[in-house]
Amino acid sequence: MFRTIIKEEFGKGYAVLFEEKWPAWIAGIVIALISLGIFLWNSPLGITGGYQNWGNWMLYYLIPGFSKPEHTPWQHTLSLTNIGLFVGALASALLSRQFKFRPAPPIEYAKGVIGGVLMGTGSALASGCNVGAFYTGVGMLSIGGYSMMIGLCIGAFIGLKVLLWEMEHIPAKPVSAKPKTEVAGSSVNWTKVQQVIGAMILFAIVGAFYGFAAAGKTRDGGLLFFGLLLGLVFHRSRFCFVRAFRDPFMTGESEMIKAIALSLLVYGFGSALIKWSYIQPPDMGVVQPFWIGTLVGGAVFGIGMVLAGGCGTSTLWRAGEGHIKLMITMVTFAITNALADQIKDKTQLAAKLGSKIFMPDILSWQIAMPVFLAILLVWVILADWNEKTEKLVIF
Amino acid sequence: MDIESIKSDETLDARGLSCPMPLLKTKKKLKEMKSGQILEVWGTDPGSKNDIPDFCKKNNNELLGISDEAQGYSRFFIKKG
Repeated sequence: MFRTIIKEEFGKGYAVLFEEKWPAWIAGIVIALISLGIFLWNSPLGITGGYQNWGNWMLYYLIPGFSKPEHTPWQHTLSLTNIGLFVGALASALLSRQFKFRPAPPIEYAKGVIGGVLMGTGSALASGCNVGAFYTGVGMLSIGGYSMMIGLCIGAFIGLKVLLWEMEHIPAKPVSAKPKTEVAGSSVNWTKVQQVIGAMILFAIVGAFYGFAAAGKTRDGGLLFFGLLLGLVFHRSRFCFVRAFRDPFMTGESEMIKAIALSLLVYGFGSALIKWSYIQPPDMGVVQPFWIGTLVGGAVFGIGMVLAGGCGTSTLWRAGEGHIKLMITMVTFAITNALADQIKDKTQLAAKLGSKIFMPDILSWQIAMPVFLAILLVWVILADWNEKTEKLVIF
Repeated sequence: MDIESIKSDETLDARGLSCPMPLLKTKKKLKEMKSGQILEVWGTDPGSKNDIPDFCKKNNNELLGISDEAQGYSRFFIKKG
């Protein structure tokens, strides 16, 4: 009796976690709470820095004479979150029986390469991607977060125009799905195997956290674990920043905008609580140059994310789900960002991109927080109005 | 309704394409069709299972059903509203 109850309850819990899709708004709140956890644990969530670390290593092996990066990917804090995110999505895809290597037609691979190059360049200009420059930018009350937001809107609009042009002018050659080859007499239940591997990966990361802690690197282990949680939530809810910026022009849907606005509400007020009480320094995470760097960088990044079909985070979790196109994007994003960042440093371009402004510094806390709230409300109301009237839909 | 017995007027093969191409092509194809006609979309992107139902609901098209094929792709049956 007891066993059947446990089994039944476990089955129900498993279905809720890994079979049904999580509502985007719940995922938004959870992502904000995890991000605040990362902020308290170490420093605000960023994704691009991790790609940059990987890119520097690739360049070190590819180009003779390229200087050796200071940190290995398992010592670099942002790289660790990224690894966690990727592995978390992989485990989640396995546990939901959705993992598969997913090939794509050649034109999709080409878009993956170009998208990665544009995202790498854009995130170097903006000092962050849709997460570091937009999500964390706005959440950490940096004015640059808002110019990034406008840049991403412009970029998504242009990117969608390119996709529409492609649809009209380049005939699609779909890959035919290969019929599954049934191995005669094989009794291996692939879906069961997937779930077992997925569960083993989850336990391995938890084990790795204990390992890091034992080696006196609790902070690094924690970041890996936070990344794992993000990967799970992102994959199960298919939380997608690209959709928030692209859908208003494509279908008019506002679901993702509302989910991100709610997420930012929790993230922003949470970070205000932490900064105003000086638990963490007030200007922490305020790295986004206002306004040229974020506006131009955001636009370039926005085009790239629509072409690639993945942004800083969704490139990672979609690659973890098995999309070969996004694995290619991951590589070109990393290499381009590392290169562009070196060029930015050598040419003193950084100084011309804008300055880092913390909203409460120029407005005071008392005014900054209502302004923060008002901008989110305007965004949601605009999205709602557009959903009903489709005034911004170009197709 | 038994989805295996649905006779579709048009078929769109979006296998191998990833977000947003399947939805973009579906929207374009539906524009060319008459109200009441049935479009069958083949896709492999896991995101389509959320995108296409949401899109249909919003645009008053009726999603008649989804069937998963043994070959590893899904067929979506959409009746234009």
